[in-house]
Amino acid sequence: MIRFGLTRGVTAVAMMLLLSAVLFFSTEALPGDAAGAVAGADATDSERAEIRERLGLDDPAVTRYVTWLGDALTGDLGRSSAAGRPVAEVLASRFGNSVVLVGLAVAAIAVLATVFGLAAGLRAGRLGDRLLSSVTVTLIALPEFLVATGLVVVLAHQAGLFPAVSTFPPGDSSWQHPDMLVLPVTALVLGGLGVATRLVRAAVVGVAGSPAIEQARLNGESGVRLAWSYVLPAAAAPGIQGLAVMAAGLLGGSLVVETLFNYPGVGSELARAVTYRDVAMVQGLGLALAGSALLILFVGDLLAGLLNVRSRPGAWRRAEGGVS
Amino acid sequence: MSNFSRRAFLGFGALTAAGVSGVLTACSSSGAGGDAAGATLRAAFAGGGSSETLNYFVGPTALDFVRARLVHAPLGAIDAKQPDGVSYGILESIEISDDLTSYTLRLRDSVTFTDGSPVTAADLLHSLRAPDELEGLPFTRLVGRNFDLAAARRLDARTLRLPTAQPIADGRLLLCQSMLVIKDGTTEFTPKTPSCGPFVIEAFEPGQQTVLRRNPDYFGDDVHLDEIHLLSVGDAEARANALREGQADFVSGVSPFNARELAKADGLTVSAGEPPYVSNLRFEMNLSHEPFKDERVRRAFRLAVDRQAIVDTVYFGRAEIGNDVPALGFPSYDTGLEQRRHDPEEAKSLLREAGHEGMPIELTAGPELTGMVETATLVVENLRAVGVKASLKELPAGQLFADYEAYQRLPFAAGYNPSAPFEANHTPGTFPDIDKLVATARSAPAEGDRTAASHKAQGLLWEKGNEIVPVFVPTVDAHTDKVSGVRSLQFPDLSAAELASA
Repeated sequence: MIRFGLTRGVTAVAMMLLLSAVLFFSTEALPGDAAGAVAGADATDSERAEIRERLGLDDPAVTRYVTWLGDALTGDLGRSSAAGRPVAEVLASRFGNSVVLVGLAVAAIAVLATVFGLAAGLRAGRLGDRLLSSVTVTLIALPEFLVATGLVVVLAHQAGLFPAVSTFPPGDSSWQHPDMLVLPVTALVLGGLGVATRLVRAAVVGVAGSPAIEQARLNGESGVRLAWSYVLPAAAAPGIQGLAVMAAGLLGGSLVVETLFNYPGVGSELARAVTYRDVAMVQGLGLALAGSALLILFVGDLLAGLLNVRSRPGAWRRAEGGVS
Repeated sequence: MSNFSRRAFLGFGALTAAGVSGVLTACSSSGAGGDAAGATLRAAFAGGGSSETLNYFVGPTALDFVRARLVHAPLGAIDAKQPDGVSYGILESIEISDDLTSYTLRLRDSVTFTDGSPVTAADLLHSLRAPDELEGLPFTRLVGRNFDLAAARRLDARTLRLPTAQPIADGRLLLCQSMLVIKDGTTEFTPKTPSCGPFVIEAFEPGQQTVLRRNPDYFGDDVHLDEIHLLSVGDAEARANALREGQADFVSGVSPFNARELAKADGLTVSAGEPPYVSNLRFEMNLSHEPFKDERVRRAFRLAVDRQAIVDTVYFGRAEIGNDVPALGFPSYDTGLEQRRHDPEEAKSLLREAGHEGMPIELTAGPELTGMVETATLVVENLRAVGVKASLKELPAGQLFADYEAYQRLPFAAGYNPSAPFEANHTPGTFPDIDKLVATARSAPAEGDRTAASHKAQGLLWEKGNEIVPVFVPTVDAHTDKVSGVRSLQFPDLSAAELASA
């Protein structure tokens, strides 16, 4: 198990280095630079050249990559070329908001997907399963902006239950305003629930026919106890890995939701930075997102590995104190 | 009512702090009568995410300037109705020497900064030099390009004499368009930086919100609000939602479609900036592209465009028709020029004459100004109707000007200029005869000569220029009916806004 963890850890670090290089050089390769975007249409050529020099856009790319990576390791991600704000400062304020949003959504998805996935998987092929399947397929097929717009129309415009946009007072964090979190979290949950439920269901179906579960059934286990104590532990590993992939993707990828609800997360900031050729910001936010995605996947792998060990029949019996 | 049910639904036992202050506001305003003393205006702008900054010289978004104009007193504002063409703010007057080589700026008496120090000519001079010294964005450096600021001289504590770089008559417009006063020595901008505008910064979170509180020592007497909350809401749809849901009283930058929908809603009003506060949407025909060297091709392209259809279908009427000449609404704009017709037949025959029938052309555009892509789409259709094999290359947001050298090489490209006087913003180098006329229009001693030269230059641009200016686009705002007193300048000026009590 320790070797497994170490191997995964080393892979993650190597992956991180590779990603940092890909990130840096692909943003370098974009046509145009911040000088053009910042200067505006009425700038003279010398004003443009001055801005380019000030932003350090004239050094060779490899030099800048090494400097950038070295600085990044010490926590210095450079400054935004738009207004000179440190990237790390932006990251600190935006990242926490994204973690709150995605954390709540993933927690809700985990609970709901487990309940629905177990219910459907244990009744595979029956009416309940078919109903849940059509609901999940519909959820997967609905574009995110449609779900989000629908929520605004129904829950904000018509019912007046929740604010349509997030307007956090200066200095406040998102968790201090739960009413403004409801709609964005719900939109993310509806967007991810379909896939997650189907993942859990597939794992449950795979496990339900296994000898271990058969044994449990023959021992007279059924219903919630069978699902909770026997099926879930065996089916959890692929479920956790699926959720980890989803959480990693949502962290920077909830752009539609962030935009429509004006939620100050890291995704909309990244999109803005790409639009305005704010290279330092793109690289800094990208690096942080890549790092946290790898971390989440790494933790997901470790948990799944642990569960796999536990759920292997031999290990199970050893854990129970049995002899083989 | 919806607020109440929302709170009840969430089961919040205690009133939030905002709720309490709302109740207090209601009490005080009912005591004061109609004028809602203690009112807070919530205004939403697109903002710029985390790139928003209090340093308005480098802040790239409209919100940065809107905020700065509420905190730092402006020298004045362009106002065609005034005898000088400008209305004064912190300045009392701008006198111009007869030979147009020196300007004398005089400050109002006994104006102070928030730290108690008086506003002096030294502060004024620093304010004018700061855009260059602090490496401001090009649009903030208009004054530095036209005046010799190094040679400026203080005549007394309130008076400053500025020599011009070349003789110019339009210096008042340049000085009053967007210059604000900051304290001498200011190089960094924080909420604590001394200022002399109508409001002071209570709190600032880039990309989220700015809380402004009334400056009790402000020299002007037309400030009615106690607080302004500037909300950053990036998406136009989300801004419209914020207004509909009562989360904002005023929103700036409303899309044409949303403007039409919001105008129909009860209790909401849509307003648009009026000339000269409109941006010119232009399509530039690159003269190094062979067919455009022929004047007849350029005229054909201009005649092919159906301008009224653009105003009607792209902007739902909320735009001004253009006549291929910039700076609509400024005093020197030649209203006597014949309005360009939509004449596809004439366009066809001109193209035939020039031997460029069925010429291929690609128009490049991006969503940099409201309706730019939609207008470009119509222009391409118009050109196809006269036999040109036109196609549209649509770039994603932020790309059009990102590589400016590449942009300048495009054969046919969309662009825009924010509201600015024609003569001072004319880029020389394309037509020497027009350049000469523009120089005269800026520097001739007699006003009649200047106007004549300007009109002649505009006439030549109309005749043979390489820009199609089909439409002038205002910034469209929307607000609840309780809001009044917002001035639609280049950007909305909220300093004199009022909020009626419910």
